[in-house]
Amino acid sequence: MAAEHDAPLLEMRNIRVAYGGVRAVDDVSIDLHAGEVVGLVGGNGAGKSTLMKTLSGAHRADSGEILVDGKVQSITNPRDAKALNIECIYQTLALADNVDAPANVFLGREMTSALGDLDDGAMEDATRKVMARLNPNFTRFTTPVMSLSGGQRQAVAIARAVYFNARIMIMDEPTAALGPAETAQVRDLVRQLKNEGIGIFLISHDIHDVFDLSDRISVMYHGRLVDTVRRDDVTADQVLGMIILGKKPDEVTSEEMAELQMGESPPAA
Amino acid sequence: MRIPRLASVTAVAAILLAACTSPSGSTGGSASAGGSASQGAASCTVAVSWNNFQQPRWAAADQPNIKDVVEAGGGTYMDHDANLDSEQQLTDVDTFISQGANVIIMLAQDQNAILPALQKAKDAGIPVIAYDRLIEDPDILYITFNNVGVGKAEAEALLKKVPEGNYVLIKGDPGDPNASTFLPQGWEDAGLKDAIDSGKIKVLNKDGDKWPDNYGTFTDTWSTENAQKNMEAIIDKANADGDKIDAILAENDSTAVGVAQALEGKNYGFPPLSGQDGDPTNLNNVALGKQYVDVWKNANELGKAAGQAALQLCQGKAMADITIDVDASVAPTDGNSPTDFSTPGGNTVKSLILQPTPITAENLGDVINAGWWVTKDDICQDVKAGDPGADACGV
Amino acid sequence: MANVADAAPAPGSSGTARPGLRGLGAATEIDLRLFGMVVALAIILVVFNLIEDGKFLRPINMVTLAVQATSVAILATGMVLIIVSRNIDLSVGSLVGFIAMIYALVMSQWMPDVLGMGSDFPFRWVIALAVGIGVGALFGAVQGFIIAYIGVPSFVVTLGGLLSIRGAVWYLSSGRTVTGLDSTFALLGGGGRGSIGGTLTWLVGAIGVVAVIVLLYNGRRQRRRFGFQLRPMWADVLLGVVGCGIILLLAWFANGNYLPPNLATQYAKEHNLAVPPGGLKISAGFPIPIILLIAVTVVMTWLATRRRFGRYVYAYGGNPDAAELAGINTRLTILKTFVLMGVLAALSAAVASARLNGATLDVGNSYELYVIAAAVVGGTSFAGGIGTIPGAVLGAFVMATLSYGLSFIGVNSPGQNVVAGLVLILAVAFDAFNRRRGGGSS
Repeated sequence: MAAEHDAPLLEMRNIRVAYGGVRAVDDVSIDLHAGEVVGLVGGNGAGKSTLMKTLSGAHRADSGEILVDGKVQSITNPRDAKALNIECIYQTLALADNVDAPANVFLGREMTSALGDLDDGAMEDATRKVMARLNPNFTRFTTPVMSLSGGQRQAVAIARAVYFNARIMIMDEPTAALGPAETAQVRDLVRQLKNEGIGIFLISHDIHDVFDLSDRISVMYHGRLVDTVRRDDVTADQVLGMIILGKKPDEVTSEEMAELQMGESPPAA
Repeated sequence: MRIPRLASVTAVAAILLAACTSPSGSTGGSASAGGSASQGAASCTVAVSWNNFQQPRWAAADQPNIKDVVEAGGGTYMDHDANLDSEQQLTDVDTFISQGANVIIMLAQDQNAILPALQKAKDAGIPVIAYDRLIEDPDILYITFNNVGVGKAEAEALLKKVPEGNYVLIKGDPGDPNASTFLPQGWEDAGLKDAIDSGKIKVLNKDGDKWPDNYGTFTDTWSTENAQKNMEAIIDKANADGDKIDAILAENDSTAVGVAQALEGKNYGFPPLSGQDGDPTNLNNVALGKQYVDVWKNANELGKAAGQAALQLCQGKAMADITIDVDASVAPTDGNSPTDFSTPGGNTVKSLILQPTPITAENLGDVINAGWWVTKDDICQDVKAGDPGADACGV
Repeated sequence: MANVADAAPAPGSSGTARPGLRGLGAATEIDLRLFGMVVALAIILVVFNLIEDGKFLRPINMVTLAVQATSVAILATGMVLIIVSRNIDLSVGSLVGFIAMIYALVMSQWMPDVLGMGSDFPFRWVIALAVGIGVGALFGAVQGFIIAYIGVPSFVVTLGGLLSIRGAVWYLSSGRTVTGLDSTFALLGGGGRGSIGGTLTWLVGAIGVVAVIVLLYNGRRQRRRFGFQLRPMWADVLLGVVGCGIILLLAWFANGNYLPPNLATQYAKEHNLAVPPGGLKISAGFPIPIILLIAVTVVMTWLATRRRFGRYVYAYGGNPDAAELAGINTRLTILKTFVLMGVLAALSAAVASARLNGATLDVGNSYELYVIAAAVVGGTSFAGGIGTIPGAVLGAFVMATLSYGLSFIGVNSPGQNVVAGLVLILAVAFDAFNRRRGGGSS
């Protein structure tokens, strides 16, 4: 279980991001422990993805600070994030479709010989070994990834993070493009990674994903953090209420709750 | 003075500059334009409208000669460059008229677009010389080279040297009527087609029997590289067929350089080769024996002829009464006064049509001595004893 | 043999027996598209040969053809990387013209007249070449910087380059033709003396054979090292025999190209050889520009497939966002492709100017069109991410063969242009058809 009494692996403090006057992320503070999954939920435009982009180096925060192992770190581009063992699995997968799986796993961090030539054999070998853990049925190591299925491509993306010893992993909608069997596979994978001591931010629309996998859940609403709650302390309806109304469970009136339960059914139920 | 102009914004400044720096005679003369014959050349302002002064030839040969002749005759010279812009050229001509030009020499960018400007000049009583390029109007004086004569001179020189044998014909860009029609017409006038029909001459590169379309190889954009590639293929083909190339009729100098380089690359030796333009590299090749003849349109003399004609028009002479004094090598075959010329557009204009000059190793010395725009250093580069141009170069 | 069993499940594409050409292709893992182009080129050559009653496929003709293709082929190797990374370079022709004029001026005027380096000064040609390569790299860097770091589309930047660099050539020479290169430099153009001779040609062939064997052996060793499934032995042997055979055949064929008789006689005089009554037959072998092209192709293929730079170029072409998110310095990568293109323009200009023994105002005119056509015929896709360097070189040879062959049989330039245009469209249409049908993978 998550050791919440330890110092957190990661802290993001008072992060702000504005896109031309719109406050996409407004003074959000959030933390993550080793071996913990924190679900990050909220409606469209709530600021989940933007917040995570500041962590992965894809976007710079306007203010606020990021601490890893208690030390303030500056993350201005993806390379900085990777140097801190922060790996991101994007919703858009972020694979180069025209090259093969090993090339994607090692993209930007290729193995080379002493003379700087690419060592494709070693990269394929390493990819095979990682894949054997993640997806034993994966066999197509030498064809461009554009010819792979959605689940296989997701496995390639995750293999990339795993191989490089991610300590902090950001998973943006990891099951969005997958069928039921593949979704189950990815869930198993998340549990496995968690048990290995990796801290995971899980962004998802699927409340079942979040409830199945998360230790804590952070809810965002219009750029603000509504609250972070322990999974065991809330019900799915309460979380839905936070997502839709932008209020903590104890601030919600009974009328609002009743209306919510009549009008809305949980998405993707 | 010449006023380069980059944008119409600067036109006003240019006009002011022209007005301020022109001798008073030019502005004062405007009132009596056309009717000032008896006053002599003293108040004669000659204006030249270039379509594109960027071509090196105009600055090197035509312009200084017109200017020198006009100024030596006591007249004033002015010009403008239209920079390939027909509308700019109309403005330029307007400016000339308002500045009191007595004669306007036009190198038209577009022979139709220029007509309104021509009409204005005629309305103001200013005679117009169409220089190097025809303008379709019966009242102009047309001064140019005999373009068909260039082809004739090329072929005459080669036919004299190689009356029988295998010829290769290298033509210019297929989209240029000079390449497809006028120059081959000159070749025909020199007797090439008769020699082909009688079997004395065999053309190695032809793809049919229709003269002149099927005879010879076109060179896209007249480019030296393309001419070289084509000639290499022609040499390979002739070798494969066991034919010997006896002479190469190339339409101009840029293609002739490519041909000479192909011959050199293949160590074929140098059969007589023609060209036209008088480019320094080609005259050097004539001296080195890589090219036999280079037909040259002596633009210096063309400029002189235009300057002389302009001065005489200033004096009120009728176009038919003009007499020019140019070098014998370029003198019109019909004498030194204008003759009637029937234009493709159905007009009859007065014209002075100068002859091109074929330059071979024999008269290369004259070119060097005349000190025209090609220097002796250029012509004689790398010439050794025993080369055809050794005598002319004095080695 | 390899311990196939403990390797992860067998890769799906190789090993399984499939009938016919596709089976052969799968077992030998050759690029079927490239193979198809070689076949197409062979067919074109044979058709011309039939039309000409066997007079076309002669060593001397093929050597001429190959040298004619060189300038464009050298540029095409760089254009592949430019197009793969979703850019275009329209300025290459003008840059070739500019650098060709620099070479001509450096060797015929600046060196002898300004720097006092006469024709006996050592290594003049190396200095001239270095100047040209420097100029090319500089122009490439400037254009690449504007494209990659300022964000102006490459089409616009290089269209501007096409116009302004071509204009600048005029100012270098005031529009004149400049001739008279260093005699060693001129050998880069091929020509009578610009070939490496019979012995060296065999040596080059031998190096090629050794390279093929080493490559195949290394491939097997590499697979065994990691326990991957090996290519069937028969496939490797077949590849080796065919590869070596083609190389040796080319060397033998090139050696069937003899020095022109008058040069041979001169050579005999210089080396005190007796001239036999039938004339001296001295093998000329590979022309120097072809050696240069082979070297450029090998180096560029290595850069594209064996180096990080090449991997990044292809990854960027496949998905620019993915490359950026993977932490690749994509701007620097793009800048490098243009610097490389500038260097290649300098090499191409060296061949073009050496062939002319100087430079005219219009050297390199419309090269950009032929280069792009060569890359596209060679299988490069404007969608980005797809294209190979050997393919582009083959594309350049297909285009040059058509042009030379049609010239040879007497078809004039308008006819040649019609054919070239149709072939271009046909090649791309064939690719599009194939991709839709087969999903692109073989």
